[in-house]
Amino acid sequence: MHFMLITEAQGKALLRAAAIATPSSQELRSLDEARACRINLPAAVKAQVAAGGRGKAGGIRKASSASELEAAFGAIMGMRFAGEAPSSVLVETWLDIERELYLAVAIDSRVGGFNVLYSPRGGVNIEDGPPPLSYPVGLARNFRAHAFRALLEPVESDAKVRERVISTARRLLDIAQANECMTVEINPLVVARGGSLIAADAKIVLDEAAAFRKTATAAAIAASRDKAEREIRLCEEANLMLVWLDGEIGLISGGAGMTMAAMDAIDGAGAQPACFLDVSGNPTPSGFGLAFDLLDRAPNVKGILVSMFGGGLHTDRVAKTLVELLAKRASAKPVTLRLNGTRSDLATTILREAGRQNHATLETAVADIVKRVAGARS
Amino acid sequence: MSILLDADTRVLIVGITGKFGTFSVKDLAQSHTRVVAGVAPGRGGQTIEGAPVFSSVAAAMKETHANAALVYVPAVVALDAVLETIEAGCPLIAYPGDGLPVLDAMEMRAAALDHGAHLVGPNSPGLISPGKAKLGFMPSFCYAPGPIGVISRSGSLSYEACFRLSSAGLGQTSVIGIGGDPVRGVNAAEAIALFHDDPETRAIIYLGEIGGSEEYALAEYAKRPDAKPSAALLVGRTAPAGKKMGHAAAMIGSYAESWAAKVEALDRAGVVIARDLDGLASAAASALARAMKPAA
Repeated sequence: MHFMLITEAQGKALLRAAAIATPSSQELRSLDEARACRINLPAAVKAQVAAGGRGKAGGIRKASSASELEAAFGAIMGMRFAGEAPSSVLVETWLDIERELYLAVAIDSRVGGFNVLYSPRGGVNIEDGPPPLSYPVGLARNFRAHAFRALLEPVESDAKVRERVISTARRLLDIAQANECMTVEINPLVVARGGSLIAADAKIVLDEAAAFRKTATAAAIAASRDKAEREIRLCEEANLMLVWLDGEIGLISGGAGMTMAAMDAIDGAGAQPACFLDVSGNPTPSGFGLAFDLLDRAPNVKGILVSMFGGGLHTDRVAKTLVELLAKRASAKPVTLRLNGTRSDLATTILREAGRQNHATLETAVADIVKRVAGARS
Repeated sequence: MSILLDADTRVLIVGITGKFGTFSVKDLAQSHTRVVAGVAPGRGGQTIEGAPVFSSVAAAMKETHANAALVYVPAVVALDAVLETIEAGCPLIAYPGDGLPVLDAMEMRAAALDHGAHLVGPNSPGLISPGKAKLGFMPSFCYAPGPIGVISRSGSLSYEACFRLSSAGLGQTSVIGIGGDPVRGVNAAEAIALFHDDPETRAIIYLGEIGGSEEYALAEYAKRPDAKPSAALLVGRTAPAGKKMGHAAAMIGSYAESWAAKVEALDRAGVVIARDLDGLASAAASALARAMKPAA
C-alpha cells in the first residue's frame, strides 16, 4: 500500500478551490520555465515531492535574483528525497510573516473520524513544542464553530485570528470530506501583516481505499506506482506486501501482525530482518516464487526464513509449493522453514520426504536461521 | 458468559450467495453457530446449505429472528449493506472486509452508535466466543473456552497468539478482532468496557501494534482501581518510522505511535508486557494469577 501523500502544488490547488489563500506561485518543470518565471522576488523555491522532511533536507531555498532562482531550480531538481526525484519546483512569493500557526484535520482512530488540530505556534519545529490543541469532530458534518471556539479561547488570544482559524478549519473538513483525505495539514498557516491567513504549505494524504470512486486518487496511485522501485511494483501487482529493511534475514511470512511478530523475534535472537514480506495475499507458487526470486537476488539477504501459520491456509499445499520451488532454486543462501497450523502434520511429512526440516515453532526456526547465517559468515 | 456472542445467537449472513458467504454457512455450523438465514438481493426463496435466503435484511430478521449478522460483500457496496443491517434493527454486525474507504467506516460507526448496535470491523476476522459461537472467519482450532478476553488489531497475530494461549491451557471467553484500519466499529476502549462488564472474563489480553493510538485506551483502563488485570503484546518493535507495515493503520508517524512509547505507557499503568510472542502465554498467566488473588 502506498503512503498516498500528494505534492504541495497539488494540495494547494485543492485549498484554492475552497477559497483558502495561498502565496502567488508558479510550478516549474524545466530550466526554460525557470528563466521565464514571472513571480516577484525574493521567492521561496520548493521541491515538489510526495515525501516529508524536504525542508530539513535542503529542498526549500530562498532566491533573491533571477540567477539565484535558476541555480536553486537546478540544484533541487538534482536532489532525491527519501529516494524520490522532485516532479517539479514550486516558486512562491516570499511572505511577510507576522506569526506562523498550525492547523490540520486528520483521521484519528480514537475519535472514530476527523480530529481538528491547532497550535498558535506552527512551523518546522512543531513537533518539539507542546502537543497541538485537539477538537475531536468525528463526522465532518458534526463540526460546530462554537465548540471549536470554546476550545480555542484559552489557546489563541487574538479574536480575529481565532475566527479566521475557525472558518478555515471548516473548509479543511469540506476538502477532506469531498476528496476523501486522511490528512489535510497546513503548516505553517501564516498570519500576514494585516491579519489575513495564508497557507504557506499543504500536506494532503488521500485515502487509497477510495480510489474506486475517486479518479484523482486512482491517478495519484498510478503515478506513485510508476515511480516506485521495480521490486515494490512487482510485489504490488502480485498482491504481496514488501517493505525493505536494513538487516540480513530475508523474512517471508503471512499476515501483517504475524510478519511484524516474526521481525521482532529475529531482533530478539540478535539478528535483523531484511524485509517485511507478507505473502498471505497470494500464497501460491507464483507468490512464493516471486518472494524467493527477490530475496535470492538481494545482496544484503544472507538467509531466508519462511514462517507461515495456517489458519484458512492449508500448510500442506504450501509445503508442496516450497519443495518444488527449492528443488529448482539456484541460490545457495540457507533457508529455514516453519509451517504451523492447519494440516501442519502433513506439511512436516512432505518436507521430511524432500529432506527438509519443518520447525515446530517460530522461535526455533528463528534461532536456526540466525545461527546458519552467522555460521556462513565466519 | 462472553461478550456480544453466545450459544443462543442466531446468525444471518449478508452476501450468502458469494464465495465467502457460502463457505461460512458450513464453517460457522462446525463451530456450533446457528446460521438461521442469508440475504442476497433478488435471490429470496433459495436455500443455501440449509439456510433460507431472503432479499432483504428486514425480511430475514422478521422471519427468522436473527440477532447477529456477518456481512460478506465487496467494499464498493459495504456501506449500503451495513446500513441496511443496522437500520433493520440487527444489534450485532461483523464486517470483516478490507479496503473500505475511511469515510464509509466513519458512517458505519456513527450509524451503529445511533442505533445502539455493535459493529465489529472493518478489516477484521470478526468475533468468536469459543465453544459457543463465531461470527467471522478465524480458524476455530486455535481457540478454547476459558477466562481470558482477547482484543486484537491483527487477524494473523490473533490466530497464532490464541493457539499458543489455548495450548498453554489459557482459554478465552471471547476474542474480538477490532481490525487493522484507522476507523473501526467497536474500538479498543469499547471492547475493554465489554470485557470489564463480563463476569466470566478474569483478565484481558491486548494484541496491538505500532501506529495509531488505540493502545492508550488500555493504559487508561489499567489505571482504574477496579480494572481487571491485563497483559499486552505489541508487534512492530523493529519497524522503521514512516513505513506502512501492511495494515493501513500500522505506521509510526509520531513518537506516541511508536512501540517504545506505547509499551512505556502500558507498563507504567500496570499492564503485564510480553516483549514478543514467545512471552505471551507467561504474561497472560501472570495477569490471570493476579485476578485469582483475593483483593488485599
